[in-house]
Amino acid sequence: VTQQEEALQLEKTWAPAAGPFRWLSEISHKHVGMRYIITAFIFFIAGGIEAAFMRWQLAKPEHGFLSPDMYNQIFTMHGTTMMFLFAVPMMEGMAVYFVPLMIGTRDMAFPKLNLYGYYIYLFGGLFLYFMFFINAGPDAGWFSYPPLSGPQFSPGKRIDTWAQMITFTEMSGLIVAIEVIVTAFKMRAPGMSLNRIPLFVWSMIVISFMIVFAMPSVMLDSGFLTLDRLIATHFFNRAEGGDPIFYQHMFWFFGHPEVYIIFIPALGFVSTILTVFTKRRIFGYPVMVASLVFTGFMGFGLWVHHMFVTGLPQLGQSFFTAASMMIAIPTGVQIFCWIATIWRGSLTIRTPLLYVFGFFAIFIIGGMTGVILASVPINAQVHDTYFVVAHLHYVLLGGAFFPLFGAFHFWYPKWTGRMYSEKLGKLAFWLLFIGFNVTFFPMHILGLMGMPRRIYTYQPQLGWGPLNALASGGAVFIALSVAVMLINFRISRRSGAEAGMNPWGADTLEWSLPSPPPNYNFVRLPVVAGPNALWDAAPDQPQVVGVSTEKRQVLVTKVLDAEPDHLEDLPTHSIWPFIVAVTTTFGLIGSIFYAWYFTIGAIVTGAALIGWFWAEARKHAKTDPPVEVPA
Amino acid sequence: MNERLLDVSALELETTDSRALLWWGNLGMMVIEGTMFAMLIATYLYLRVANLDWPPSTVPNPDLTLPTVNLLIMIVSCVPMIIADRAATRGNAAAVRICYALCVLAGIAVLVIRSIVVANLGFKWSDHAYGSVVWVSIGMHTFHTLAATGETLLLLVYSLVKPVVKKTLLDFRCTAVYWYFIVIMWLPFYFIIYVAPLLSRKERF
Repeated sequence: VTQQEEALQLEKTWAPAAGPFRWLSEISHKHVGMRYIITAFIFFIAGGIEAAFMRWQLAKPEHGFLSPDMYNQIFTMHGTTMMFLFAVPMMEGMAVYFVPLMIGTRDMAFPKLNLYGYYIYLFGGLFLYFMFFINAGPDAGWFSYPPLSGPQFSPGKRIDTWAQMITFTEMSGLIVAIEVIVTAFKMRAPGMSLNRIPLFVWSMIVISFMIVFAMPSVMLDSGFLTLDRLIATHFFNRAEGGDPIFYQHMFWFFGHPEVYIIFIPALGFVSTILTVFTKRRIFGYPVMVASLVFTGFMGFGLWVHHMFVTGLPQLGQSFFTAASMMIAIPTGVQIFCWIATIWRGSLTIRTPLLYVFGFFAIFIIGGMTGVILASVPINAQVHDTYFVVAHLHYVLLGGAFFPLFGAFHFWYPKWTGRMYSEKLGKLAFWLLFIGFNVTFFPMHILGLMGMPRRIYTYQPQLGWGPLNALASGGAVFIALSVAVMLINFRISRRSGAEAGMNPWGADTLEWSLPSPPPNYNFVRLPVVAGPNALWDAAPDQPQVVGVSTEKRQVLVTKVLDAEPDHLEDLPTHSIWPFIVAVTTTFGLIGSIFYAWYFTIGAIVTGAALIGWFWAEARKHAKTDPPVEVPA
Repeated sequence: MNERLLDVSALELETTDSRALLWWGNLGMMVIEGTMFAMLIATYLYLRVANLDWPPSTVPNPDLTLPTVNLLIMIVSCVPMIIADRAATRGNAAAVRICYALCVLAGIAVLVIRSIVVANLGFKWSDHAYGSVVWVSIGMHTFHTLAATGETLLLLVYSLVKPVVKKTLLDFRCTAVYWYFIVIMWLPFYFIIYVAPLLSRKERF
C-alpha cells in the first residue's frame, strides 16, 4: 500500500461529520480547538468592550455615562469574562488544537467528551451574557465575596448566575485537563520520551494537573454560595457558625493557581517562538521543565497573599510572603534561560518575536510589582487600589496576552495556509505595546495616590483626573491594535502568500503537515529522535505503519519512553455530546430558579448519558469480536 | 524504496488493564472527585476550628447502628466487585453479571438505609453551619453512590442483552474501580459525621 492510498483511505475514515447535525456533532480536535479559540476571542472582545465602557466612565471626574449599578455589573462582567470565558478557555483551545499535533497522534484521547466540554463552556458563557442583557448580570466583583454576595445583601438572581457560570466553565476546564493529561502521557509518537516533549506541551501538562486540583475548589465554593442563597445553608453566615473568610480561602486556593493556569501556557508559547526565531535549541531544557513543574507546585502555596488584610495570624502572613517571593525563582530561571537562548542565536525579528520581547518588558515590570505586593506592609497600604489593578494587568496581559498574540501570528500560517502581513502585524504590536503602557502604567501612580478599585466615579478635587484621562486614551490604542490584527488576519486569509508546510523552519511536528493539517493529521505517525522533532529527524527517519486506516485507530504508547504499547479505536462523530450538554445546561440553569430542577436535570442527563453509552457500545458490538465466555 | 518503517500491526488491539486510555480517564475523574471530597473534609475541619460549640449543643448524639450497618454493607460489597473485576480480565462475563447484580442490590440497600439515617439526623441543613456541611457531605456522597449504582446496573443490563466485547470488559473494570473509590471516600465521612461528635463531646464534658 502506498502512502497516497493510505492518505485516501484516511481521508474517508476521518471525514468530517455529515448530515443535518454535522455542525453539532463534529468531534475532530482541530475543529473543537478552533471553536474554543474563536468563542474565547469573541468573549475577549465582549470583555474589551466592557473595559472600554469603564475607561470612558472614568475618563473624567463625576462622569455620568454609567450608573453606579451598571458600573458594578460591568466591572464584574469584565473580570468574569476575561478570567473564566477568555483566558483559560483560550489556552485550553490552543491545547486542544496543538497537543495532538505536537506529540504526533490523530486526535485527543476522548474526542466526544472534548466536544461536550466545549458545549458546556459555550452554554455557560451564553447564559451569563443572556442574564447580563436582561439586567441580571452579576455585580459583586469577579470573585463575589460574601457577605456582599450572600442572600442578605444580594437578593435576586445576579450572583446565582455568576456562581452557576463557574460550574459550567470549570467543568469544561476539568474535561480539557483530563484530555490533555491522558493524550500527552499515553499517545505520544514513538521515541518522544518525557525528555523530548515540546515545552508547550509540557506547559499544558503542568496546567492540566493544576486545573485538576484547583478547579474543584472553586466549584465547591461557588456551590456553597449558591446553597447559602437558595436553600438557606450557612457556610458563610457567621451568625449560624459559618465563616465568610472561608469563602476567600477556597476561592483563592483556586484563584491563585488560576493565574498560573493562564500564565504557564504563555511560557510555553514563548519557548516555542524563541526556539524558532533564534534558530537555536532552548537553553537548559531540563531546567525549563523543572521550572514549569515547580511553578505549578508553588502556585498552590501562595493563595493567602490575596488575603493579607483579612486579619490572619502573623506567622501565616510571613509564610505566604516568603512563598510569594520564592515563586519569582523559577520564573527568573526561565527568563535567564531565554536570554541565554537569544544570546548566541541568530535572531529573525518577526511579529511573534516582537510579542515575546513585549512580554519580557511588561511581564518583568509586573513581576517586580508582584514582589512588592508580596510584602505585607506595602500590601496593606495599596490593597484594593489601582496599584493592584496595574499589577494584575501587567502580569496577566504582559504574561499571557502578549505571548498569546505572538502565538496567533506564529501559528496563523498553520491554521490558514497563508502568511499574515508582516507590516500590519508589526503595526498591531506597536499599537498594543504603546497603548498597553499608556493605559496601565498611570494606574500604578493612581494607586499610590489612593484611588480605590471598583469605584464608579471620583471628585475633581482628588486630582486623579489627568492620569485617568491618559489611561482612557491609551485604551483607544489597544482597541485599534486588536482591530488591526483582525483586519490583517481577514485580508491575509484571502490574499496572503502561500505558507507551505513550514514557513518558519520550525522544529515541532505540526510543521511537518500541510497547512491547514488534514483531519487525520499524519498519514503515517512519526517516530521522534530528539526534543526538536523536525530538526533532529534523520533524512530517513522511520515512520509508523500498521495502524489501521479503516478505523479511527491510534497508537497508545508507554508513559515514560513512549514505546509502542497497543492500539485503540477512537469514536466517530456523534450528536450525543450536544444532547447531554443541553440536558446538563437545563438542570444547572433551572436549579438556580427552582431547586427541584437539579433533580429533574440529573434524571434527564442520566437518561441522555445512557443514550450516549448505548449508541457507542452498539457500534462496538457490531464491529468488535465477542469475547470468549468460559462456562 | 529503502524506507525505514516501524510496524505496529502486531500489537494488541484494545486492552482491559491499566494501560487503556479509558482507565486513565477514569482515574482522572476520581482524582477530581477525590479533590472535591477532600475539600469537603477541609470545610468541616475549618468550620470546626471556627466554632466553639461543635457540634452545636442542639444536635443529638448520632445513633451508630444504621450508619455502621451501612458502612459494613459498602465494605462487603467490594468483595463481589473484586471478583467481578478479576473475572473481567479473564473474559468471564457470566461471573461479572452475578457479582454486578449483587453490587446493585448492595447499592440500593445502602441508598435506602442512608435515606432512613438522614431522615433521623435530628437537624437540618438550614439550622446551622454544622448542619450545612453534614447534609452537603452526605448529599454529595449519596449522589455519587447513586451514579455508581446506576452505572453498574446499566452495564449489567447491557451485558444481558448485547454481546460482551473487549471494550465492555474494560467498562466492567473501570466501574469496579469507581465502586472502590466510592466506598473508600465514605470512610472519613463516616468518621467525622457519626463518630467524631461522640468523641469531641466526651472530651468537653
